[in-house]
Amino acid sequence: MRLTSKSLAVIILVVLFGGILFSSAMGWWQTESSKEAATFTEGEFAGMPNPADIRGSYTFGDVENNFGVPAETLAKAFGAPPEIDPSAFKAKDLETLYADQEFEIGTASIRLFVALYTRLPYNLAEDVYLPKRAVEMLKSQAKLTNEQIAYLDAHAIAIGSATASNADQTDPEPASESQAEAPAGEETHTEADADERVIKGKTTFKDLLDWGVSQETIEMIIGGPMPNPLMNVKTHCDAQGLYFGDIKVNIQVEIDKVAP
Amino acid sequence: MKIFDKRLFRPRSIWIRRVVQVFFFAFIALVSVNHNLAESGGGIPLLSNASLHSLCPFGGVVTIYQYATVGTFVQKIHESAFVLMVIGFVLAILFGPVFCGWVCPLGTVQEWVAKWGKKMFRRRYNHFISPRIDSILRYVRYLVLAWVIYVTATSGKLIFADYDPYFALFNFWSGEVAWQALAILGITLGLTLFVERPWCKYACPYGAVLGISNLFRVFQIRRVESTCKNDGACSIMCPMNIPVDSVNTVRDHQCISCLECTSEAICPVASTVVFSTGGAK
Repeated sequence: MRLTSKSLAVIILVVLFGGILFSSAMGWWQTESSKEAATFTEGEFAGMPNPADIRGSYTFGDVENNFGVPAETLAKAFGAPPEIDPSAFKAKDLETLYADQEFEIGTASIRLFVALYTRLPYNLAEDVYLPKRAVEMLKSQAKLTNEQIAYLDAHAIAIGSATASNADQTDPEPASESQAEAPAGEETHTEADADERVIKGKTTFKDLLDWGVSQETIEMIIGGPMPNPLMNVKTHCDAQGLYFGDIKVNIQVEIDKVAP
Repeated sequence: MKIFDKRLFRPRSIWIRRVVQVFFFAFIALVSVNHNLAESGGGIPLLSNASLHSLCPFGGVVTIYQYATVGTFVQKIHESAFVLMVIGFVLAILFGPVFCGWVCPLGTVQEWVAKWGKKMFRRRYNHFISPRIDSILRYVRYLVLAWVIYVTATSGKLIFADYDPYFALFNFWSGEVAWQALAILGITLGLTLFVERPWCKYACPYGAVLGISNLFRVFQIRRVESTCKNDGACSIMCPMNIPVDSVNTVRDHQCISCLECTSEAICPVASTVVFSTGGAK
């Protein structure tokens, strides 16, 4: 059987695009990670999305789809640049936006905001800071306990007008009192730290070993043998029913201990 | 039109291949631009805004180890790369590395740059390297393949993206490209002025994988010895410098199934160099 160039061209196009169409129909064609947050598996909130599972790659639109918090509300609370579509703004972009702040405003801030806004539980194992505008919005739109209000007041950061026009530009003071009250000597993460030595959803066990955390320490924290080093810590926690938020904090402590 | 089995007015290249190449180059370029637009909240409606990594079949190859051992994909790689890898393998088993010769936009760009080289050096073009050294260098791409698979398997990260000229070609404006990848792209295009498809010949790890299919593919380039005039046109035309006129069936691991050596293109005698299965007459 002979083939001509025209026949071959048609076959290539049909096989390529036909294969893509077929895989799409079968649900195999995925060009990005699933943006479906993990749900609580037990208790009063079983089946509800877990704010702790919000990842840096989530856009405000993804957060809205999962938790029902409007992307515009998030953009306003966190001072996303007005020229960017709120639904396309990624949680991890906050780290860049607020890179010059003394305390980190990032994905954890979104998690806290969403948890308080939706009244879903969130294990606050580390200090998390929010822009003052976000705190004011929570106070006016969410039902907060006195304890929560006190925490927010102590962790509100006034954002300078240079950061973003959507942010609280009316606040004249350079920093809130809460910054002064923050624990003395607390390490803040520089942008480079955030890139290199901060445990995130995509951090693998190999990353931890490369950063100098021993296998024994890791196994002690996760309470069992370490799986294949290429596995994500978060994936392992999800599979083992471990709460990633707690594991993450404990591992981060060890990472900071061995940091050069 | 044929006179005494010799065709007149025949084309000297496979024009439909050019059309397919331009289509895929434009398609990938648009998707890549759209991906960057989508990152900033914009984008072209009805056009995919997938990342280039998710549309690269080689991404599927490098993630095989991690998928088999851990059950997850290498960072930045998704199911779509796996699907494309399978499609690429199916095409290769049937027709050889047609992905390289017909689809790959980096190969297309090298062919465009090669036109300048051909104008500059004419018959010397693509013959600067001695055959002995050239034949050794052809196996370097298997070393590159082994290195890419090793570093990906041990790190779980797409290390090759920092060296990938294909990624650099379609993202050089985005700030996401490592300087090494840009340098390799520049060197590749520079070398293309002297050697046709230098990246494909000497360094492409995906070409190395697909090239193995030349040993057992269903449709192959075959030369009918009884009608061959032994003018060597097929060998001169071959962008990969394969001596087509010295074999009856091309099984060279570097063939890219471009069909430029066949009687549809450069061979002056009809039905003498053909693309067929073993039983074809």
